[in-house]
Amino acid sequence: MGLRGMPLLVLLVVAAAGLLAGTLWLWPALARRGASVIALRIGLLVALQASVLGVVFVSVNRAYGFYASWSDLLGTDHTVAQIVVARPGVTRAAAVDPASPLMSLASSPVVVPGARRGQGGRLEEVRFAGPVSGIATTGHVYLPPGYSPASRPLPVIVVISRQAGSGAASYGAQRIAAVAAAQIRADRMAPAIVAVLSPAVAGRADQGCLDSPGGPQAGTFFSQDLPRALTLAYHAAPGPSGWAVLGGAGGGYCALQLATAPSGQFGVAAAAPGTYTLPPGRGETGGSPGLRSQDNLLWRLRHWPAPPVRILFAGPGQARQFISLVRPPMTVATIGPAAGPPPLAPALDWIGHALAGRP
Amino acid sequence: MGLTSGTLLLVAIVAAAGSLVAIVWVWPRLARQRLAYLAARLAAIAVSQLLVIAAFLIWLNSYFSFYASWSQLPGASAGTRLAMPQRAVAGPVTVFGSSPGPAPGRSRLAPLADGAGTLPRETAASAPATAGRLQQVVIRGERTGLSSGPGYVYLPPQYFQPAYARARFPVVLAVTGYPGLAGGIIHRLALPAVAARLIADGRARPTVYVMLTVSPLFPADTECTDIPGGPQVASFLAQDVPRAVEQTFRVTATPAGWGVLGYSTGGYCAVKLAMMYPDRFSAAVSMAGYYQGVRGHPVPGLWGGSIGYWHENSPGWRLRHLPAPPVSVLVTSSRVGDESLPGTLAFLREIRPPMRGYSLIIPEGGHNFRTWSRELTPCLKWLSRRLS
Repeated sequence: MGLRGMPLLVLLVVAAAGLLAGTLWLWPALARRGASVIALRIGLLVALQASVLGVVFVSVNRAYGFYASWSDLLGTDHTVAQIVVARPGVTRAAAVDPASPLMSLASSPVVVPGARRGQGGRLEEVRFAGPVSGIATTGHVYLPPGYSPASRPLPVIVVISRQAGSGAASYGAQRIAAVAAAQIRADRMAPAIVAVLSPAVAGRADQGCLDSPGGPQAGTFFSQDLPRALTLAYHAAPGPSGWAVLGGAGGGYCALQLATAPSGQFGVAAAAPGTYTLPPGRGETGGSPGLRSQDNLLWRLRHWPAPPVRILFAGPGQARQFISLVRPPMTVATIGPAAGPPPLAPALDWIGHALAGRP
Repeated sequence: MGLTSGTLLLVAIVAAAGSLVAIVWVWPRLARQRLAYLAARLAAIAVSQLLVIAAFLIWLNSYFSFYASWSQLPGASAGTRLAMPQRAVAGPVTVFGSSPGPAPGRSRLAPLADGAGTLPRETAASAPATAGRLQQVVIRGERTGLSSGPGYVYLPPQYFQPAYARARFPVVLAVTGYPGLAGGIIHRLALPAVAARLIADGRARPTVYVMLTVSPLFPADTECTDIPGGPQVASFLAQDVPRAVEQTFRVTATPAGWGVLGYSTGGYCAVKLAMMYPDRFSAAVSMAGYYQGVRGHPVPGLWGGSIGYWHENSPGWRLRHLPAPPVSVLVTSSRVGDESLPGTLAFLREIRPPMRGYSLIIPEGGHNFRTWSRELTPCLKWLSRRLS
C-alpha cells in the first residue's frame, strides 16, 4: 500500500475511528483489576494514539510531498541516476554575442599639448555587449600611456554623460580623454582606464541607469555587464575600491544611483550638486511604490546602511539635503566653482586621489 | 525553554507518556454508564493525543532544522513589517566557534568549541591539517546591512597544509530551503561529511563550503530577492557574502571559482542568483527547485506589486526574454515523488547557449533530505569539475 495513496489514509482513518469507538465502548469492561486488563488498556490506548498520529503524518506527507514511498521514508532506496547534459534549446538570433563582451572598433592616439605623439595614451571606440542585460551599446575607452595587459592593474573611471558621443563637447569622450591625458602627464592624477558611455544605453530615453521592471535592464548593464566586459578586456583593478563613476552632463543621477546601489560595484562617485529625489524621466517602476521609493536617493540614504563609498559634488549648485544625510563610512566632499559648468580636471584629480586611497 | 532544546523534547515526551499512564490509572473511575463519563473519557483521550502530537512535532522540527525558536514559528511574527537592517559594527565575518571537520563520510560531528575558540584536546586525527575545520560564523553585509544568522564555513584539510599555504580555494555557497536553518545542511544533508570524503578520495578538489539559511531575515520568507523598498536579499547573498568571504578566507575572487547550491527554495535561489550575477557565480546546483517566482506570497510586497519585477525574478522568464548568461546549472528532481519535475523539465528545455544545462533525475524520491543526500555526491563532483 503506497505511502501517498488514498487506501492507506482511509485504512488509518477507519482504524483510528474504530479504535476510538472500541475504547469508549470497552471502557467499562476494562475497569476491573488485574494485570491482563491493564495491559489491554495500554494496548488499546497506544494503538489509538499511533493510528491518529499515522493519520496526521500521512495527510501532511500527502499535502507537502515529503516522502514518496516506504523505501524513501525508511531510507532503503539508494538508487542514483546519471547526470545528463541538456540538449541546448534553439538559439535565437541574439542581439548580444557573449563571447566578446567588448569589441574594439577603432583606436586613435590622444594628443597632449607639449608632449610627443604617443605619450598621451589612446582612445578606443568600443562596442559593449552585455550578456546579463542583453544591452549592446557603443562607448569609448581611454587607455593611459604605457598601458599594457602585462603592467600592473589600473583603476577604472566610468564616465556617464549624455554628451559621450559628441566629440569635443565639454563632457564628450574626446575632451574627457584629452583632459585625463593632460592630468596624468602633469602627474596630478594617477593613471586610470576611463570608459565613457551615454546613460541612454537601452535604446531609449535615459532612465537614470535603473532597471525597468520586466523591461530594459540598464542598471544591470552598468553594475554587471560593464564591469565584467572591462575586466575581461583590460587589466583592471578589482572593484569596488578600484572603481569610480563620474556623472557628467546629465549623468549625475546615474553615478550616485550606482554608487549607492546594494550591488555595490563602485567605491567612488562624483556628480554635479543637485537634489536627486527622482531619476531622469521619472524612471519606470512597473507600478511598484517600493521601487519608486528607492529610486529617491535621499530615501536610500535614510533607509539603507551607508555604503563604504566616497562622494564628490563638483560644480555650482546645492546638495545640502544629500550631504546632511551622509553617514560614515560614506564620506562626501565638495569643490567649486559657484558658477559655470562642472569642472572636469579637478574632478578627475579628486577621483584619482580617492581611488589611490588618499584623503 | 528553547524550541530545539533537548529539555523541551524530554518534557514533551514525559508529558505524553505521563498522560497515558494517568488514563490507565483513572480508568476505573471513568467507567460508569453516564453521558458525562463518556465525555470525560473522550476528553482524557483528546488531551493525551494532543500531547503525543506535540512531542512528535517538536521532534520533527529539530530533526529537519526548520525553526530555531518559538518567535520564529509561523503566526508569531505574522503582520510584522520587515525591519530595515542597521549597520553592523563587527567585521564582515565573525567566527563564533570552530571544531574539527567531519571524518570523511561521517556525519557525526564533534561539538563546536565555545566562543573563545578553545578546542577539546587536539589529537593528530583532529588537527586542522588532517580534519579541516568547521566554523560557525555570522556574515554581515557591508552594503545591504543584512546579517546571515548562524551559518557555517567548512575549510578542507588542505587549507591548513603547507603545500597549499599560498593557494586560493574555490568556494561553494550552499543555502537551505525554506523554512530551514543552516544546521540542516550539516546534520541532515551532511554536506561537510560528503565533501570531506570526496576530497579525501581525490574525486573533488579541495573547496571551501559556506553554508547559510536562504533567508537572512528568517522566519520571513524573502525568496533571495531584492525586495523593492525593503531588504536587499539577492544583493546580500550574491555580492556582500562573497565579498566578506573573500576578505576573510583564502578563496578565489573570480566567478570561475564560485558555485552556489541549494535545495527546494534554495534551488530556486541558486539558479536565480547565478543567472542574475554571473559576475559572481559560474555554476549552480538546484535540487528540487522551482523556476518561477512564488505568487500569493505571505511577505508583503515581495515583488513590489510589479508583475515585471516578478518576471525578472523568475529564471524561466529570464531565459525566454533576456540573453542566456554564461553559467552552468545542474537541476535535480525525481520521476516519482516530487512535484518539482514538470517545472524542472520545462526549465531545462529553455536553456540555450552560452548557458549550459545538466539534469539529474532519479527514479523515485520525495521532497526530503534523504533524496537530496543521495543526489549530493554527484552534485558536488559536478561542481568541482566546473570550478577552478
